[in-house]
Amino acid sequence: MTDGQTITCDALVVGGGIAGLQSALDLADQDFSVVIIEKDLSIGGKMIRLSKVFPTLDCSSCITTPKMASAAHHKNITIYTWCDLKELTSNKGSVRARVTQKPRYVDQDKCIGCRKCEYSCPVYVPDPEQGGFCATKAIRIPFSNAIPQTAALDPESCMLCGKCEKICPTGAVDYFQKPFDFTIEATTTILSTGFEMTTIEGKPQYGDGKVPNVVTALQMERLLAPHGPYNRVLRPSDGMEPDSIAFVQCAGSRDKSMGIPYCSRFCCMYAIKQAMLLSGALPLADIYIYYMDIRAFGKGYEQFYQTAKAMGIGFIKGKVGRIEEAENGSVAVRFEAQDGTGVTTENHDLVVLSLGVLPDWSPEGICSVSTAEDHFIQTVQPSIGPTLTSRQGIFVAGAASGPKDIVDSISEAGAAAMEASNYIIAQGK
Amino acid sequence: MTDPKKMKKNKEKSEKIGVYICYCGGNISDHVDVEKVREAAEKFPGVAVARTNSFMCSDPGQELIIEDLKNGVVDRVVVASCAPSLHENTFRSAITRAGANPYIYDHANIREQVSWVLHGDKATYKAEKLVAAATGKAGLLEPLDPIRVNARKHATVIGGGIAGLKAARVLADRGLEVVLIEKTPFLGGNAAGLDTVAPLGEQCSALIAELAKGVLEHTAITVLTRSEVVGFNGYVGNYNLQVKTTLSSSSAFDKAAGHVVPFEGDNADTPTEQNVKTGAVVLATGFRSYQPKTGEYGFDDHREVLTLPEFIKQLSEVNCSGDILELNGRKIRAMAVIHCVGSRQIPGIHEEDENGYLNEYCSRTCCSSILHAANTVKEQFPKTNIYDLYRDIRTYGRGQEELYDRAARNRVVFLRFEAGNSPTVSANDDGSDYALKVTIEDGLTFSEEIEVPVDLVVLATGMEAGDVSDLVSMMKLPVGTDKFLQEVHPKLAPVEMSVSGIFLAGTAQAPMNISEACNGAAAAAVKTASLLSKGYLELDPYVAAVDQDLCRGTGACVDACLADGALEMIDAETENGTEKKARVVPALCLGCGACVAVCPTGAIDLKGWSLKQYEAMVDMIVADELIDI
Repeated sequence: MTDGQTITCDALVVGGGIAGLQSALDLADQDFSVVIIEKDLSIGGKMIRLSKVFPTLDCSSCITTPKMASAAHHKNITIYTWCDLKELTSNKGSVRARVTQKPRYVDQDKCIGCRKCEYSCPVYVPDPEQGGFCATKAIRIPFSNAIPQTAALDPESCMLCGKCEKICPTGAVDYFQKPFDFTIEATTTILSTGFEMTTIEGKPQYGDGKVPNVVTALQMERLLAPHGPYNRVLRPSDGMEPDSIAFVQCAGSRDKSMGIPYCSRFCCMYAIKQAMLLSGALPLADIYIYYMDIRAFGKGYEQFYQTAKAMGIGFIKGKVGRIEEAENGSVAVRFEAQDGTGVTTENHDLVVLSLGVLPDWSPEGICSVSTAEDHFIQTVQPSIGPTLTSRQGIFVAGAASGPKDIVDSISEAGAAAMEASNYIIAQGK
Repeated sequence: MTDPKKMKKNKEKSEKIGVYICYCGGNISDHVDVEKVREAAEKFPGVAVARTNSFMCSDPGQELIIEDLKNGVVDRVVVASCAPSLHENTFRSAITRAGANPYIYDHANIREQVSWVLHGDKATYKAEKLVAAATGKAGLLEPLDPIRVNARKHATVIGGGIAGLKAARVLADRGLEVVLIEKTPFLGGNAAGLDTVAPLGEQCSALIAELAKGVLEHTAITVLTRSEVVGFNGYVGNYNLQVKTTLSSSSAFDKAAGHVVPFEGDNADTPTEQNVKTGAVVLATGFRSYQPKTGEYGFDDHREVLTLPEFIKQLSEVNCSGDILELNGRKIRAMAVIHCVGSRQIPGIHEEDENGYLNEYCSRTCCSSILHAANTVKEQFPKTNIYDLYRDIRTYGRGQEELYDRAARNRVVFLRFEAGNSPTVSANDDGSDYALKVTIEDGLTFSEEIEVPVDLVVLATGMEAGDVSDLVSMMKLPVGTDKFLQEVHPKLAPVEMSVSGIFLAGTAQAPMNISEACNGAAAAAVKTASLLSKGYLELDPYVAAVDQDLCRGTGACVDACLADGALEMIDAETENGTEKKARVVPALCLGCGACVAVCPTGAIDLKGWSLKQYEAMVDMIVADELIDI
């Protein structure tokens, strides 16, 4: 692909997470041509970064990689990663997207994924793919099962020593790479732009991110992942194996002080899952979940919750009011106990925040689909056409239209692909 | 026992087997010494290379296999990783991309069968044995071609509720012929009994009418109401359904529910049976509402105790003014709603049904539904007091938390109970004219015991799996422990069933609300469209094959065959004149091997799972001297 080029296809899928991949596969399997654009360096979205997934405790990589690989090798799917969607217009049965290819400073056609650049790079930076708990290099392949296996250089950290350029066997490193624009013309579009989490700094009552040993749920995913930063669960401040771990639910959802009155839908289940995995990794540790309501509503979820209770995980009903630093790296959690004890403080070695879920992308200024008050993309027939947006021919799937777990996202992705297929056919194409 | 010499001659054993062993992050390597397995595998007969990777299914992992095949290093592939149900297709497609036949590959499951159940030396030992067996078989694998069969561009949807209507419409729009089979005389299913629906308060009748209009007006959709499937045979792409249409019996269906779409089609006046030839089946058979046991929260004992569907129906018919709700001429000054009736039952706490069964699942929709009903009452009749007795409020979806918030602002009083300490409903004996009293230890006020006199109790009854036992036995469908129909895998194949070409839509699978049922239905439809839109499909070639030279026409195989019509006797012209010979119909063959076991002359074998391949696997498992342990 080159500057100014125009690519045509039947369907454009915006976002290569699990919903986007599923939509793309369901379209491509019907012989429609599909282009996926992804803002990240790899497809796979949030799911490829997880450890195991509820309620089956399947390893997340094992479920995500087949879909990533099928999409990447599908004859009807073309994937562009590290792209920004600049403009999306729809008009009379066609959509037109203007997309910027961001520079990797590595020629994607030349890179063979040998990682020699990464090994030779002298600059260590915190690895965002490992929750910042360990280091990676300024030029690197983002993670072991990333697709594509193309290195990218982080210009903020690079000191231009030239080692990577010298060692690259194919001459792929290009410090002068520039961003360029290209155009995609399609009949229909599926927006599967996913979610992000509120930041740990957002809530002063919970320490604004300054209390050591308070981590986010996504960081805990990495600590629990089989190929995680420490290969075991340690608390970050001093490397101690925690004996007491607490999960604080609704730390950014159902919370008007954070501007997020809605329920983030899947936090109860991942907290229970992480608690279960922790009790396997640290059999002697005490594990507690502070919650308002346990929302285990999906197929097999309630049984999963009851199993966790039977395993001895402590469920404490109450909204945590304050989180503070305590002695020796522990964390003090203050809450109102409902057994009549009143306001109580418990110390834990490690605290995990189940942060709120926000849309990862806003169409504002890019595309004229409407968003709702919650800033997620609005659906115009939420009951009988949950994937229809305010623009004809533009559909939505997964967490882009509100928090959704993986099972519901995959189901909705299939539904969006069905509506998009029928839209293509109705245009006589 | 088969005389190996008489078997169709296998090619020589491959000497270029590649073994690819996966760490699976740590899922395997935490318990299996993967490098030790690799070292052992290198020494197995015929193995050219043995390699490992942290995720063999990832692109770099697959690339190892592709490179070796392309470079001629290997010509047979063994992958040792998770269950083949997860990744068989991934590796087959990698092998195809390398330009090789996808069936030259065998799989050793060293995760589910090894690392998840064994630890330490035992795990490594078993992993070595399974890899050894797979290499033994792989040496004898031959390229096979998938069986290509024509697929009818025709789908059948069973069930005319929300999910069935949605599925039928989108399938027809996709260009397939569709038959919609509904056993009642009307369309709309369970939703037809609803008034307005949570969370947005849309009129359910309008939603059903819109879906039904799209179905009834579509020329590619044939609607058969008052109809049931009574016979089923064939195979994916070519199923035959026997459909019986009967006269309606007006008493059998509760038309008074109101908002149904009566079907005015050309259903025959006399019972008829017809054969529907179809390519795939979408099961949208729905749910049934939990019916409380007599005495459960006073149900049946007190006429003032209603289920949620009963209450919704009565509320929709209310025609009173004033600020207190009146039902059947009775003022409802105070009412209690109780959550999780017939859902979230826990062994040892809740009473099992007559079959020893509990509904352990959450019914997902009742919290929003009851809060929506409570808001409807409070906003019209603010002086009717409502007490909401719950375990957890599960208003998870978009717009649902607002219902909870609104209920609190509408001054619905929330009281919380634990599963093991359910509230009780009894006749009121405090001398006042309230009919009932509800007693609860309220977890929100330090387990204080609270007694509430009320005029009405509404039980938020959950969903149960619909009775589809006839379809289950006819189509051999898997059913989960929750009695709902069971998908293959909640994420990898969420609407697929283990019977190829049969898909799940809506609440036949699990409790869902209307929006989720529509998504499930459209997802089932897209899989159906992918399967049928090409007009043909390819089936795995693991089927029986008859060696016509060896067949003596005894017919033993036909008697043993488990699939109707997969084996048949034909008159074959041979040098001895006309002789009876067995013939396999590949599309119908299950590949079970029952015929192989009974053939007196060893004339039948399974492609890809031959007796000789089994023998080679066993040889490798018992060949201890080959394995350095």
